[in-house]
Amino acid sequence: MKVLVVEDEQGLAESITEYMVKDGYICETAATFQEAEEKIHLYIYDCVIVDLTLPDGNGFQIIETLKRLIATTGVIIISARNALEDKLKGLEIGSDDYLTKPFHLSELNARVKSLLRRRQFGGHTEIRFREIVVVPHTRNVFVTGQPTPLSRKEYDLLLYFLSNVDVALTKASIAEHLWGDNIDSADSFDMVYSHIKNLRRKLLEKGAADYVQSIYGIGYKFSQP
Amino acid sequence: MKLLTKTNRIYLAFSLVIYLLTAVAFYQIIRLVIYEEVENRLRVEKRDFQTYVRAHNAWSNIPYFVENKINVTPVVGRGARGEEFSDTLILNRYDHELIPFRQLTFYQPIQGVVHRVEIRKSLIQTYRLIEVMTVAMMLFLGLLLAGTFWFQGKLSGRLWYPFYDTLARIKGFDLSSGASLTLDSPQITEFRELNDVLQKMADKMQQDYRSLKEFTENASHEMQTPLALINAKVEQLIQSEQLTETQTHWIESIYQASRRISRLNQGLLLLAKIENRQFNDSQIIDLAGLLTEKLTDMEEVLSFKELSVSMQAMKPFDVMLPPALADILVTNLVNNAIKHNQVNGRIELVATTDKLCLSNTGGQLTSSPERLFERFKKESTGPDSVGLGLSIIRQIGDSYGLSIDYQETEGIHQFCLTRSQP
Repeated sequence: MKVLVVEDEQGLAESITEYMVKDGYICETAATFQEAEEKIHLYIYDCVIVDLTLPDGNGFQIIETLKRLIATTGVIIISARNALEDKLKGLEIGSDDYLTKPFHLSELNARVKSLLRRRQFGGHTEIRFREIVVVPHTRNVFVTGQPTPLSRKEYDLLLYFLSNVDVALTKASIAEHLWGDNIDSADSFDMVYSHIKNLRRKLLEKGAADYVQSIYGIGYKFSQP
Repeated sequence: MKLLTKTNRIYLAFSLVIYLLTAVAFYQIIRLVIYEEVENRLRVEKRDFQTYVRAHNAWSNIPYFVENKINVTPVVGRGARGEEFSDTLILNRYDHELIPFRQLTFYQPIQGVVHRVEIRKSLIQTYRLIEVMTVAMMLFLGLLLAGTFWFQGKLSGRLWYPFYDTLARIKGFDLSSGASLTLDSPQITEFRELNDVLQKMADKMQQDYRSLKEFTENASHEMQTPLALINAKVEQLIQSEQLTETQTHWIESIYQASRRISRLNQGLLLLAKIENRQFNDSQIIDLAGLLTEKLTDMEEVLSFKELSVSMQAMKPFDVMLPPALADILVTNLVNNAIKHNQVNGRIELVATTDKLCLSNTGGQLTSSPERLFERFKKESTGPDSVGLGLSIIRQIGDSYGLSIDYQETEGIHQFCLTRSQP
């Protein structure tokens, strides 16, 4: 899987790259409009993450060029601009998703995975993690072959964990993933806790190992015990 | 009233007065001239009469003069002397009509007896003349008036065309559309100057608007990017295994703080954008429906906090708002009602066609209710509140014709939205 990150803030580009590389992606970066134009003409990427404001150009143009060259490449816009018109314009010219800065790397990762799944297998592929199998297009979960009914939030939570295996996820990022940007309060962290408790119980009941680890003061991590 | 209608009316009234005065003056002058003429002739006849009397020293009543033309009567005693002109009406013998005459009265001794002599001349011809002349004059003056009025209308319509054109273009000018104002350069100096000034003003306004808009966008970008960087780095730092408890605590604080700055920044920028009127896609939105939807979305949060929701008289409450702002308004109201509620509390929504009230249970208020809407005013000092929610609600209300009232009675906090009079 090849991903291109077009971002002029070097530190941020680095962080995204490191995060993605750990997950087994091949990741390249472009810091300027020129560089990005060159790269999309030379190579084929599965997904391009584009910042809209670049020192020598506009991210929208990159997306337009890209869509002309290879229409199947997935595009995610990351931008500090949160105007509705930018979002609409972005989606109109062919981007698949729009994330407003600052975002959680885990959220970006989850969105990239979900996008690639949709793009490449039409969502028909299964996600496997040891004895857990998730079928995204029917939203079904099987643990050791048995169907495991989950509530909508529990399902979203499980998918978020599976997109970020072995990664410490903050409570805030989980809360925002489940409820959107506007839910960032002490209460939502309690709700996160109760959903995690229920998910864990349902997985354990069907015979899965205990993968959800709590990290003191920070959040949770989904990994092999 | 339009400028041209106004000037035309004034012009019409003024012309009418002037023309009437002219007509009256003209009539008087003609009358004066005619009287003078008649009187001169009467004097000539007086001389003829005196010559006759001197020659014959008598006055015979032979109809030397036509009927009614002369009347000689002896005067007993001493009457007034001298001559005088007067108007008189005399009954016509044949058709019994009163006919105007000009009469010269003078005194003449005939055979030693003073006689009063009255010589008259019919004015009927001259009156007809005056009538005909007056009618003709009125007709011509009327035609002239109508003509100039019509011409004036046409001419000023053409002269003022650049003005109305400019007006129409300014009306159609939208600051936020990005299209600049284009005005013609008319031949008339005043209009050209007006257009130049307007053009300069519009360009300046647009430039200011653009730079302010750019500023908010750039400020947003320049601040959110480093915040994104901090967040990303903190998230990476969290991944390292060997963090001590203290370090975790520090990291958490940094993380919380950066998120708070980010929300603060977004809130302030949003306020600036609303003030700057950068949202201009207003449409009719049913806020009651939107609130209900939002409360349904928040069902999990509500049940988690064990809050019960009741709705009454749910009529649509339609307002003109940009959809993005309507969403923010409703979200902030609901968040506020949830955040400042208590366990097992209630949220009540009452919607009528011209009032929308959302009330919630909660603790007693410690600060003054009006100050709640101020920026950075908050009841609790929790880290999850930046104190901009209510001021954003107020700012949206102020900018789009909604008034927001807040009341607190015995732990029930009520926010009511009404359409304010424009």
